[in-house]
Amino acid sequence: MAPHSGINTDDIREKARKDLLDLLEGVRGKKNLVIEKSLAGPIGIFVKFSTLQDHGVDKVFFLENDNVDASQKNVIFLARGEKANQPIAVAEQIKRLQKQSNIDHEFSVVWVPRRTLVCNKILEEAGVLGDVGVEELPLHFIPLEQDVLSLCLDDCFSDLYLRKDPTSIFLAAQALMPIQQAHGLFPRIIGKGDNAHRLMELLFRMRSEAAADESTTSKFGLMPSASVESLVIIDREIDFATVLLTQLTYEGLIDEMFGIQHNQAEIDSSVVGPAPGAQQSGRTPAAPAQQGLKRKIQLDSFDKLFEQLRDTNGAIVDGLLNKVARRLQSDMESRHTAKTTSELRDFVNKLPGYQTEQQSLKTHIGLTEEIMKNTQGDIFRRTLEVQQNLYDGSDPSYQHDTIEELISRDVPLTAILRLLCLESCISGGLRPKDLDNFKRQILHAYGYQHLLTLDALEKMGLLSSRASANVLLNPIGMGGGAAEATKTNYNYLRRVLKLVVDEVNEQNPNDIAYVYSGYAPLSVRLVQSIIQKQHLLTITKGASAASNGVSSAAHGWQGFEEALRNTKGETFNRVQKGDDQAVKARHMLAGTGGKAKTVVVMFLGGITFTEIAALRFVAKSEEGRRKILICTTDVISGDRMMEAAIETGDFGRG
Amino acid sequence: MSNPTADWERVGDRFYRKIKLYDAVFDQDLELENYVIAGAPCAGAIALYRDEDKLHTYRGSQASKTGIDIYSCAGKLIRRINWDKGSIRGLGWSEDEKLLVVTEDGIVRCYYDLQGDFTQFSLGNGAEQHGVKACRFWSTGFVAILSNNRLIAVSHYNEPRPKLLAIPPEATVHSWTVIPPAYTLSRSVEVLLAIGQTIYVVDSSEAEDRVLPNGPFKYVSVSPNGLYVTLYTEDGKVWVITSDFQNKIGEYESKAKTIPKDVQWCGNDSVLLVWEDEVHMIGPDGALLKYYYDGWVHLLADIDGVRIMTNDVCEFLQRVPSTTEDIFKLGSTSPASVLLDAVDQLDKKSPKADENIQLIRPNLPDAVAACVYSAGQEYSTHWQKQLLKAASFGKSVLDLYSSDDFVDMCEKLRVLNAVRDYRLGLPLSFEQYERLTAEKLIQRLINRREYLLAIRLSDYLRLPTNKIYVHWASQKVRNSTADEGAICETVVKKLANKRGISFEYIARAAYDEGRSHLATQLLNHESRAGKQVPLLLSMSEDELALDKAIASGDTDLVFFVLLHLKKTLPLASFFRLLTNRPLATALVESSARDQDQSLLKDLYYQDDRRLDGANLLFSEALAQTAPQTKVDKLKLAAKLIADNTKDPTTSLYHKSFSEAQALIRLQTTLDNDLHGGEKVYTGLSLNATLHRLILTTHAKRATKVASEFRVPDKTLAWIRLRALVAKRDWAELEEIAIKNKRSSIGWEPYFNEILGAGNTKLAGGVFVAKCTGLTARERSDMWIKCGMITKAGEELLKARDAEALEDLRSRASGGGVGEIDKMIAQLRPKR
Repeated sequence: MAPHSGINTDDIREKARKDLLDLLEGVRGKKNLVIEKSLAGPIGIFVKFSTLQDHGVDKVFFLENDNVDASQKNVIFLARGEKANQPIAVAEQIKRLQKQSNIDHEFSVVWVPRRTLVCNKILEEAGVLGDVGVEELPLHFIPLEQDVLSLCLDDCFSDLYLRKDPTSIFLAAQALMPIQQAHGLFPRIIGKGDNAHRLMELLFRMRSEAAADESTTSKFGLMPSASVESLVIIDREIDFATVLLTQLTYEGLIDEMFGIQHNQAEIDSSVVGPAPGAQQSGRTPAAPAQQGLKRKIQLDSFDKLFEQLRDTNGAIVDGLLNKVARRLQSDMESRHTAKTTSELRDFVNKLPGYQTEQQSLKTHIGLTEEIMKNTQGDIFRRTLEVQQNLYDGSDPSYQHDTIEELISRDVPLTAILRLLCLESCISGGLRPKDLDNFKRQILHAYGYQHLLTLDALEKMGLLSSRASANVLLNPIGMGGGAAEATKTNYNYLRRVLKLVVDEVNEQNPNDIAYVYSGYAPLSVRLVQSIIQKQHLLTITKGASAASNGVSSAAHGWQGFEEALRNTKGETFNRVQKGDDQAVKARHMLAGTGGKAKTVVVMFLGGITFTEIAALRFVAKSEEGRRKILICTTDVISGDRMMEAAIETGDFGRG
Repeated sequence: MSNPTADWERVGDRFYRKIKLYDAVFDQDLELENYVIAGAPCAGAIALYRDEDKLHTYRGSQASKTGIDIYSCAGKLIRRINWDKGSIRGLGWSEDEKLLVVTEDGIVRCYYDLQGDFTQFSLGNGAEQHGVKACRFWSTGFVAILSNNRLIAVSHYNEPRPKLLAIPPEATVHSWTVIPPAYTLSRSVEVLLAIGQTIYVVDSSEAEDRVLPNGPFKYVSVSPNGLYVTLYTEDGKVWVITSDFQNKIGEYESKAKTIPKDVQWCGNDSVLLVWEDEVHMIGPDGALLKYYYDGWVHLLADIDGVRIMTNDVCEFLQRVPSTTEDIFKLGSTSPASVLLDAVDQLDKKSPKADENIQLIRPNLPDAVAACVYSAGQEYSTHWQKQLLKAASFGKSVLDLYSSDDFVDMCEKLRVLNAVRDYRLGLPLSFEQYERLTAEKLIQRLINRREYLLAIRLSDYLRLPTNKIYVHWASQKVRNSTADEGAICETVVKKLANKRGISFEYIARAAYDEGRSHLATQLLNHESRAGKQVPLLLSMSEDELALDKAIASGDTDLVFFVLLHLKKTLPLASFFRLLTNRPLATALVESSARDQDQSLLKDLYYQDDRRLDGANLLFSEALAQTAPQTKVDKLKLAAKLIADNTKDPTTSLYHKSFSEAQALIRLQTTLDNDLHGGEKVYTGLSLNATLHRLILTTHAKRATKVASEFRVPDKTLAWIRLRALVAKRDWAELEEIAIKNKRSSIGWEPYFNEILGAGNTKLAGGVFVAKCTGLTARERSDMWIKCGMITKAGEELLKARDAEALEDLRSRASGGGVGEIDKMIAQLRPKR
């Protein structure tokens, strides 16, 4: 591949596909595939079930269901090997099959993304290591879209912040290394947050280890990339508040209401109508086309209409849909005006296109109606009102009555917790008395098991009492201290980074704040502070300040040091240098062509659809100068964040 | 210089040549006939082993000591391996020059470096009981046949997995061989067994009789490309068929009285029959060629020919490549041949050189290519030079010529000539070198400890040299007799500033040799933390291993160390290791949560993390089924945090624990009282319990419970409202409105909920009027929502809001319009 072509996500998709199919081909004949549930979705993104069948897969089972049968001699397990659970499950099922069935099974286990020492040990201790062929499938990033790569680690959020298990950081580093190998070193690694810092250190360590590793050739690791400008790592921990807000872009709203997983949403067919033929099914393995209640809807850029709508503010979607409907109508009408046969043929050629467009239009109208029903409801409005008042910086205690009322009205627990956590994040904790009061109300309303939920939230730092928020809250006191902030000070940042934009134009947005109808996500503001310095200075300090403030040549965090000091976690900015001579030689060869370089933005701990929309907005205004590639451990939402903490058991057993 | 055609022999319509590679190969005392011999593919090393079945002269006790000798092709002893493991039934090589030794009881030893280091595994599958009879090897694996005809296949030596193949009939096997997996349709190994009159083809799933009538076959042999099979019948006939048993290619009558000692393919188009000192070559169409030797002959088949070993010589027999044939054949007029002649003329300063060139001008590029290619096929440096000279001369005449092939060939020939030297004894043909690759050739040199040449070649071929240094160093630490400090110093000094050096590998070699101090010293130079871990663990440097694992950032490694330590250490010292290592603690916690709760309990106890302990007991309480055990667990949890009541969190815990117990008791009672023991209330939250009570007309009881649990008035009001609406108990709601002047949550929620449930009459009729806190316009909106336009108008009229009335009028319809007009008129100032 030419070194200048930039990072192509299609290549990643194609490689993943080929790797998987090669592994399946490696086992001769028909085979049963046992797959870990959390892998089914990601794999469905790049390979269809019918393709698996073409490669000899007879039936697909979920590992969690423990129901693989003896119908085929060959059994392939596909699971992640980082934790002990899956290897144990695999070992048990192999033993069960060996005992139950009278055929001599051929087992293979494919570990994703790598064969770990732990799974070796577990299989060995279970006494089955000798009977299975062990392979690995280096599946790291999975392209959700042209500009979005995800590791699809569902548990990443709770692992990282609740259990403090940094496996996902390591996996992220492992996923980023191939990008460096293919495109050269990231010339600059810059980021914010303790976990982000750890990831940066890991990347440096891996680079030096790769150099020391005998298996790699000495060519690697000498030169900074010519096509990549920098790697920006944002730790989710520095900005929880953004996730807690209700997402207001179209895609965000769908996610809030129906949940989007791996580009798919399961939606009641009364909302979107029944599936159009069988073409939708088979997109994921082991997902029999569910007739009747729920329907799986593919939400990605193959749907041209959705691509147009996804990042717009939900408030204007109905208008856009109207426009599209009218255009489609007139297109369809054009057949009556068609006079010559060639015109008619033209029309007929376009007909399939119109039909799919009409189908997708129908789907999205159904979705929009359902969403509007919800957004016009009392509870949604009140929730939004509380959120807005909170990020506007008004006294949070005025919101308490509303929150209490919502608790009494038995709205879903996630909604309540999101509001409380939002308050806690923005104002640096709740007053101990209020917190205690809310906790008791939650326990009464939702059950005592949520004592564990609340404990988990406190461990994640999402919910805290103001007393324990020892420092901070006083931006003036922060000035001289070199120490890292232990909490993100939104009250200060709201002013400095202009997080709240009052006059936001939803039709033709002029600022990223449109994604929350008036609030600009802090995480994306920080990215802007690196790549859109001038622009950001203009909106925060006015045009005059921008011109004499920071020169356009400034890089790193320059100009925003103060803001960073008020954000949680470590700040870093490191340059990766290569061999001097090699760099010089390349400069001679390549010249300083003005090609658009890519900025890789890595969100550690998850990203929301609104943030993706905001980053796309930034990318659009930077078009021609740079491209943005979004990487993340997973796509999250406030609800999924809360679910990481919520205790699912209750006292109802028995 | 002798003519290159001197050692050519014509077989049918083509030529074969026998190249003498080395002479004086083996000691004259060595009785080759008494030895089993195996040669590694691609001109690799040769293993000799005294055949136990043959008689041998008694030479006192010394001779009874058996061993396997590894020689180079030139007869240089590389290594002697002492053998005392019982009788050997299989001796063979893999393509990367691993020596495999299979014993009768199914033990397989894999000597991977020519220096006597080995790994060992067992065949299993009944090999022990029945005994291995023989083995057949291919480039990456082998098949062993047991005395009961069971076949066991091993397809690779890296984590070998012996597999039992399908079971053939139990009868005498006259001869057998394997078709390597690369050449079969099923991509798994196939075994050809000559049983009775016929041949059975056995793979992993079935044993198929090919129904041949002409057996029994004394020999079965498969061509190197797997396409053809040759069969030797008892009555001296040689059959050649395709390996799918569909076509017969040829048949030949050997007329031999005795059965040959061996039948082998030479390349893919001729077959060799060997008697003790005689080799017959049968070419296509039954052409025959005989070679005679002075002593016993062994054949070592290779991919493109056969090595012939006798005590005196090592020869390579192969078909003359067609390009070479075209150049050197007597009377050849091929362009390449003319070109070669031109160089000769040039040396003689004869003008014929130019004439020659002009003659072949149109074919010159091909001629150059042919010369370059043929140079590679020559073993004699003289002819290599001559051919390259010709090519060089030819290309100088050409206007456009890419010299890549030429340069490439020069480079390869230099390498080949270097390793063909008798001191090394690697007589690779060009073909074999291409197959082997340069990297593997370097590895062979490393295994022969030819470090200097290996490094020179690597530099010359621009290949990494790190492996060579590492191997050198690990041999150094194993064999050097100097003191440890000095060894470490030499090694480190030598390897400083070299890229890609694995000190871990060297340290492991030192550790395996019992020099653990040296190992630790060397390990300190390893830059990859992760690599150090397994070695440190086996050295029982637990704490260091854990720290290195953490430093590597690889959680898998940390987890691995923890699993190991948990098993080997007493619990207390395991926990001691965890203190001050938050990452390790977190990993232990998160894995124990799923698998080993008691470990977690111990951990919390040890660290005095009471609250976490209480949480754990609490989640155990959730998992219980009987109400009483739930309560018991909760009590236990409460006890754990009993000493600490001042902390606000703890006090919340205490309160919640006791409330939870009370709720469980209450719900059990309710279920018993109201539902005959059916679990209806169990598991509901407090609010849900209240809601249900009101819904099922137990309002009094609800009020009592609410006060017991001190539920705030507002909350209770909301619950009641929702329950009553859900129940559609409008009468009760109306009564509430009439009885109470004020409501703790205001009257608006009542209006909204009732309206939401669709009862506009009640909502409008009763509750709008109660919302006195709202403005007239808001109230009028409420009326409108109930569809009572007139009332809305009256509301506005009362407030004398003409503007809103006008607005209302535009939204009204039918009779309402008139009424509102009247109202507007009332508001107009009278003239």
